[in-house]
Amino acid sequence: MSASVGIVLVSHSAELASGLRLLVEQIGSDTVPLAIAGGTDDGRIGTSYDLVLAAIRSVDRGAGVVVLPDLGSAVLTARTVLEDHPRPDVLIVDAPFVEGAVAAVVTAASGADLKTVSTAAKEARNVHKL
Amino acid sequence: MSTSSNPTTSTTAAPKHEMTVVLPSNLHARPAGQLARAAATFTSAIQLEYADRTVNPTGVLAVMGLGATVGSTVTVRAEGHDAEQAVTALAQILATAE
Repeated sequence: MSASVGIVLVSHSAELASGLRLLVEQIGSDTVPLAIAGGTDDGRIGTSYDLVLAAIRSVDRGAGVVVLPDLGSAVLTARTVLEDHPRPDVLIVDAPFVEGAVAAVVTAASGADLKTVSTAAKEARNVHKL
Repeated sequence: MSTSSNPTTSTTAAPKHEMTVVLPSNLHARPAGQLARAAATFTSAIQLEYADRTVNPTGVLAVMGLGATVGSTVTVRAEGHDAEQAVTALAQILATAE
């Protein structure tokens, strides 16, 4: 099987990001390259340009990277990083944070390509819980 | 588990297979993830049916959204050349979910 798509979780909170990582590893897979960029450089609530950039680089196995921000400045920071380092195979995806991460990791674990993983995360918005 | 298949189908039609499973536990997040990953390894078109709702099991969120509970019956259906293997694999996950 070819390399897996990498996933980056960008959150205002390091605890939220690391908790979500534990969850998706249980539901999806602990073999998909997954990195978190949570909080500021000094551990406060916020987002860090450097942490996002490092996270993207750490999960790049050549099959592309999906970046999932939680909201607000996480979105802005992730977009700024991608504008400064534009690559066709690194995508920021507009998806619900928890559901999108679960869908992306499960899909990536099955060997899907970047477009399929990105679509799975986006479609998480349309799946009803009840 | 109960099973049915139609080996008499004409050679041009894709094989179909079906099994029903009585859930030994609620169909929650972890088995849903297992089902989705397993379903993605087959080429057959696969369906899970529960309480008059049908979902594609490759969608982990859709599987969770079924809200299938312990003791209820879920039907696994597949159509394609690996239909029987797909149904067997998914029914096994459903039947052993904790």
